[in-house]
Amino acid sequence: MSRRFSKFSFLAQSLSQLPSPLGLLPLIVILVGWQMLQTGNSPYFPPPSTWWAGVVQSATAGKLLPACTASLQTIVVGLLLAIGAGAVVGILIGISPRAARAVGPLLEFFRAMPPPAIVPLAILFLGYDERMKLTIVAVSAMWPILLNTASAVERIHPILLDVATAFHLSLSERIRLIVIPSVMPSILLGIRIALPLCIVLTLLVEMLTSIEGIGALMIAAQRNFQSGQVYGLLVLVGLFGFLINTVFSIVQAVILRRWPPRDIQV
Amino acid sequence: MASQAWSSRINWAGLSVCALMLLVWEASVRLKFIAFEFFPAPSSILSGAVRLAREGILLEDLSHTLLSIAMGWTIAMVIGVSIGLLLGFSPVARKFGLASVEVLRPMPGIAFAPLGLLLFGFSLQTELVVTVLPAIWPVMINTMGGIANVHPRLTDVGRTLRLSPTEIVRHLLLPAALPSIVVGARISLGLALVMAIVAEIVGNPAGLGYGIVREQQAMNPDLMFAYIAVVGVLGIILNAGVLALTTALWPASSRVAA
Repeated sequence: MSRRFSKFSFLAQSLSQLPSPLGLLPLIVILVGWQMLQTGNSPYFPPPSTWWAGVVQSATAGKLLPACTASLQTIVVGLLLAIGAGAVVGILIGISPRAARAVGPLLEFFRAMPPPAIVPLAILFLGYDERMKLTIVAVSAMWPILLNTASAVERIHPILLDVATAFHLSLSERIRLIVIPSVMPSILLGIRIALPLCIVLTLLVEMLTSIEGIGALMIAAQRNFQSGQVYGLLVLVGLFGFLINTVFSIVQAVILRRWPPRDIQV
Repeated sequence: MASQAWSSRINWAGLSVCALMLLVWEASVRLKFIAFEFFPAPSSILSGAVRLAREGILLEDLSHTLLSIAMGWTIAMVIGVSIGLLLGFSPVARKFGLASVEVLRPMPGIAFAPLGLLLFGFSLQTELVVTVLPAIWPVMINTMGGIANVHPRLTDVGRTLRLSPTEIVRHLLLPAALPSIVVGARISLGLALVMAIVAEIVGNPAGLGYGIVREQQAMNPDLMFAYIAVVGVLGIILNAGVLALTTALWPASSRVAA
């Protein structure tokens, strides 16, 4: 009972840390002003009412929902693959300082490589399909998670490892009791960096190849000069990003409560 | 003596792993272990890069990308630092503006590519729209945080020393916030590089990003790989160079969490 209550109060607490809703005022003023001052139907700066009409039009044509589902699916599945691969490889590299040193320059190269650069490469090798989209998202999102995990494993305090030896912990116990709690905050940090990357790459691939998704809808609207729809979808993507970010923040807060960041003072 | 210390700082193990990988790659293409027509050997990628460099295309594309990164980053810095200072110094601005920033911030920069195309067509302006907007946020948030998180005691010290409010801002608050602003600027620069490549792939047929797409569509895998390698090296140089530069100029910035 008390446990459930504490969970609830902690969510309420994180809600209270949000900035004041009064801060939305400038946005609302701009949008309302835009709508009021609009004379005629500008092909470049359509009033916000036509944005809504554009999105509704796309929804009634039955294109919007499948596109949203396709994009969301790519982002979520791609991210999950990236977390799995990044965490496992990161832990393996982090455990051995020699391995970390040997693959260091290689990892640095892939980290510094702007992920969009590999999109044309993946198209050439994998062709225009769902698998290619997923591969690009997973591979690019993997690096921040991998590097953060590896450095977190390297930073595990030697005393913790001595404790494990003193208590004769088995390998699985070591991983469960020492490694996972120590690297969890860093994995979350890596995911936080990878998340916007996933969204950007999903949209980029969809725009470039017209594989089903919101990105493809946006570029189609632009090609047909449906300016209201272009703006409407832009707002929709913004909401999409906001939603994904918020969900992740909640998940992160829950996980960090279970495995709080360790800071050992010696 | 000095050269010995220098040579021990080089990561020989790491470099030999890289060299080994390139050798295995070269050998497996030469010996047809990889029977795939689009997979060039490292040597043909290198000769492709040399060919591009000789024809002057590579330099032209590289300078276009560098120029648009510089322009986009500069614009983003001006907007980000000024709004960040406003939000950092004025609690009223924070109250009536922060939520708008938080709503706009997760908007992926690439989503502005169709809007840029609608307004400006395939042009440098479109590239700047896509480059500038996402690069504003890190520097803005770090500027705001840098100012707002200065310990109140520092202001008290200024008052005790009878400094005027402008002097407090100039001599105490801005220097205290600088490391955080520098870190924000560094993150923004990295984003500007990524977004410039994105914009060149979808929005502006020029520069290194377009070079990759062009050679992919022309089925020249060696030239495509050459462009990708140049982009990667550019990323490393920007990352490492800017990190070294900022750490040398503002040592405190290396202690600020990114």
